[in-house]
Amino acid sequence: MTADLHWLTAAGARRAFAAKTLSPVELVRALLDRVGRLDPQLNAFIRVDAEGALDAAAAAEAEMARGLHRGPLHGVPVGIKDIIDVAGLPTTCHSKVMPAMPAAADAVVVAKLRQAGAVIMGKLSTHEFAIGGPSFDLPWPPARNPWNRDHHPGGSSSGSGAGLGAGFFPLALGTDTGGSVRNPASACGIVGLKPTYGLVSRRGVFPLAFSLDHVGPMTRDVTDNALLLGVLAGHDPLDPGSAATTRHDYQVGLERGVRDLRIGFVRHFHERDLLADPEVAAGLETVARTLAGEGAALRDVVLPSLAAFAAVNRVILNAEAWSIHAPWLRERPGDYGMLARRRLMPGAFLSAGDLLAAQRRRGQMIAAVDAALEEVDVLLCASSMDPPSRIDDAEETARTYPRQARAPFNTTGHPALAMRAGLSRAGLPLSVQFVGRNFAEATLFQVARAWERAAGIDTQHPAWL
Amino acid sequence: MDKSVIAALARQAGLDRALAAFPDCVANAAAQVFGGKGAIGRSDEIEAPSAPTAEPWPPMRVGGAR
Repeated sequence: MTADLHWLTAAGARRAFAAKTLSPVELVRALLDRVGRLDPQLNAFIRVDAEGALDAAAAAEAEMARGLHRGPLHGVPVGIKDIIDVAGLPTTCHSKVMPAMPAAADAVVVAKLRQAGAVIMGKLSTHEFAIGGPSFDLPWPPARNPWNRDHHPGGSSSGSGAGLGAGFFPLALGTDTGGSVRNPASACGIVGLKPTYGLVSRRGVFPLAFSLDHVGPMTRDVTDNALLLGVLAGHDPLDPGSAATTRHDYQVGLERGVRDLRIGFVRHFHERDLLADPEVAAGLETVARTLAGEGAALRDVVLPSLAAFAAVNRVILNAEAWSIHAPWLRERPGDYGMLARRRLMPGAFLSAGDLLAAQRRRGQMIAAVDAALEEVDVLLCASSMDPPSRIDDAEETARTYPRQARAPFNTTGHPALAMRAGLSRAGLPLSVQFVGRNFAEATLFQVARAWERAAGIDTQHPAWL
Repeated sequence: MDKSVIAALARQAGLDRALAAFPDCVANAAAQVFGGKGAIGRSDEIEAPSAPTAEPWPPMRVGGAR
């Protein structure tokens, strides 16, 4: 089995391993070869751990030969955003600020991946400290969009999105504080989930804003996303934000369709609050129409405005990020890139009153989204209001970056999944977002899979790749 | 906002080195907070609850602290 190994999903790899038509070493070698040929054009990786990946693949292969099944990701390659600790590798946060010493231990999510048998391919590009990018003044170049390398792949989990879209690995981890899993998912045409706050442990992940940070699964299709979340989810008593939840098989019910579901379309996000690009708006209408055609009951839903959500989110994010970075910004401001410096310093000028006003309003916003989700099962709304900008056009990137509807659900903690809604005339991904009740990720996957299946988007890849 | 006030606030926050080496970045950060419409923390955009009993989220909970 050699054809198109790079587009194999995790579920497909598992089937091929079980049928003995493919071995983990064969898969990892093919992917490393592809990374070696193509990554110099895409910069998805900060560090490829070829030796570690091949050793882990060989170990998985030997275990399979002995009949040992380590877990649901046995022998499956995965890429890790470089703000997440992997034992033995430095966590650079894509920044000169961080020490070069290797992490002493795996983050909880990486330990869970290893327990499930996954093969760690290496560390992936991010915006500096998950906030400052795309930047050209850092020790590593920014990742580029696999659909057109002149365009931004979204961020801050840029390498995770770019690497999935380029066929470098079937699974990746990202983090999401204001939309950083869902933005690259939107820009790179893949599937990115911000789980419910507290569902996935953040221990061993460099924080950006404690009460907004999430670790999320990023994949090329919905089935793999459900598979990966099943490995990552679970209570961590040493993560203060971790919820007391039990493990769940998110693949059960994936193919149920949407016939019994009520979907609330949050139109005002892209029709009134921020006027979306016409192709983005048309893509959202197509998704809504398709899901209605599949049997879902659609109705319009009204939430607080995007401006109101953004005002609250920015205060909390800036205050929390400043509390983390203040010592370094005071002592070594020159070690940050310009964008991170500018995005991390506003917190120095906020008052305690600003933060408390935002936190008091936050409680009302959580209640408003909860109330909407009592009337419907899932919300449908925009993710990005524009197709991905050119990466060399700093002005356009700065204009389009805040034109999004992702941060509201970091503020409220509800689970939110972004995926492709189609392609623009220029061949760039357009996106849609689904939002669910707390800890109801299974329902989100059910809706996302119904759209994916109806649209056939899981089999479309960039033509030049 | 007046440059001297920005500088005083930046020094109060310990950003003396940034102020000396990257004055444009400090000014940019301050403008994000004290600028016009869309500035971070503007009370008219936050719409904080008027009810005095509306508590900040998350509520204080005892126990479990490390």
